[in-house]
Amino acid sequence: MTAADLARLGACTLDDESCSVCGDNTVPVRALAEAGPGQMTVEDRLGARATVATAFTPDARPGDVLLVAAGVALTHIPAPEAATP
Amino acid sequence: MKYVDEFRDGDLIQKALAEIERLCEPGRAYRLMEVCGGHTHAIYRYGLQDLLPDAITLLHGPGCPVCILPMGRLDDGLELAQRHDLTFTAFGDMMRVPGVNGSPLEHQARGLDVRMVYSPLDALKLAREHPDLDVLFFAIGFETTSPSTALTLMQAKAEGIDNFSVMSNHVVLFPALRALLDGPDCRIDGFIGPGHVSTVVGCAPYAFIPEDYGRPVVVSGFEPLDLLQSITMLLRQMNAGEARVENQYTRAVLWEGNLAAQRAMAETFVLRPHFEWRGMGSIPGSAHGIAPAYAAWDAEVKYEAPAVEVAEPCGACCGQVLTGTLQPDECGLFSVECTPERPVGALMVSSEGACAAHYNYAPRIADLEILA
Repeated sequence: MTAADLARLGACTLDDESCSVCGDNTVPVRALAEAGPGQMTVEDRLGARATVATAFTPDARPGDVLLVAAGVALTHIPAPEAATP
Repeated sequence: MKYVDEFRDGDLIQKALAEIERLCEPGRAYRLMEVCGGHTHAIYRYGLQDLLPDAITLLHGPGCPVCILPMGRLDDGLELAQRHDLTFTAFGDMMRVPGVNGSPLEHQARGLDVRMVYSPLDALKLAREHPDLDVLFFAIGFETTSPSTALTLMQAKAEGIDNFSVMSNHVVLFPALRALLDGPDCRIDGFIGPGHVSTVVGCAPYAFIPEDYGRPVVVSGFEPLDLLQSITMLLRQMNAGEARVENQYTRAVLWEGNLAAQRAMAETFVLRPHFEWRGMGSIPGSAHGIAPAYAAWDAEVKYEAPAVEVAEPCGACCGQVLTGTLQPDECGLFSVECTPERPVGALMVSSEGACAAHYNYAPRIADLEILA
């Protein structure tokens, strides 16, 4: 999983969401580890980290790519698929 | 395709453009609307309109919830916070949005407790950690941000946090699309569907567009090649006389969307009978109010909202731009009285509004004359 793999899912980062309410911006991040019930620590393509809610992506696992909006993961892409051309 | 460079690869872009050129039938015009601030931004940022054949016109629809929010709603929220000594929390993008008596930041300068949050969950955390504060979250956004508010409401209820409330301004995309298509001046031949809204709602809800209006929809990603591929898919459908929903953004969007998020939204929200859209007027069923089961966390139930009404600024053509009747620079106020620094119309407010994007990225005649 590279920074470029994340970038192909969107240019936003945890520190720069462009406009977080535009209705269509999510931040692509890599899931690092469980951080309590319904939460995961994630890392964006620039290395910034945050804890996000995974209540809506219960199958997400460390290594997967998550698309996050307003602190909540909306979809997850399993690790092998995320890096597959 | 693995890397972002491949979505911006010059050779691939040229091939895609050649295919689009080949697909354009002589004498036929193709007017395609995107309804997503992210798409609008990408189209201007990468100059895609300038690359496309003249036969294709990209129209910029209502994709920015900051832009379409009536000024009165923000004034209501700020007034509630002032009257009831609340801590006003909102996304950073709301902080500079002007209300009648100033933006949230200007209210903060005058003493109101205004705090920027990244997520409504952060606003709830503030309430949890500071029982002495009464925290109001000013919620705004399409279906991409609605799930985070839904989850926050569910957590507030589960934990019994009563010093927290939400003023919901969440809007719903599909009634607005129907309103656009029902408009007497509708010039839209097909839609570039919003990618990330669709991660939540899926692709099926767009079906009414081909079924009722005979227009195709392609849910699209955000890279230049995503958009060009989506345009190619739209042209192929239109040339074949077909209209259906297709998903170009398969690497992120499931056809059924995110069912868990949809269930949470169904539990916590109800459709408002009507909601006012700046530039478009009142649209039935186009916004999420908070469900009665969550009334204890509904700021508009907990406190009496003043229901401020603010007239649209005179001379601004936001409605015509939102519906694709006019391009941004065809409005008389564009770049003269209405600029990103001093927005008059709704579409200049947010950086991803159609007029702000046009202002920031499209070459202006004045600039070209200076260069000449």
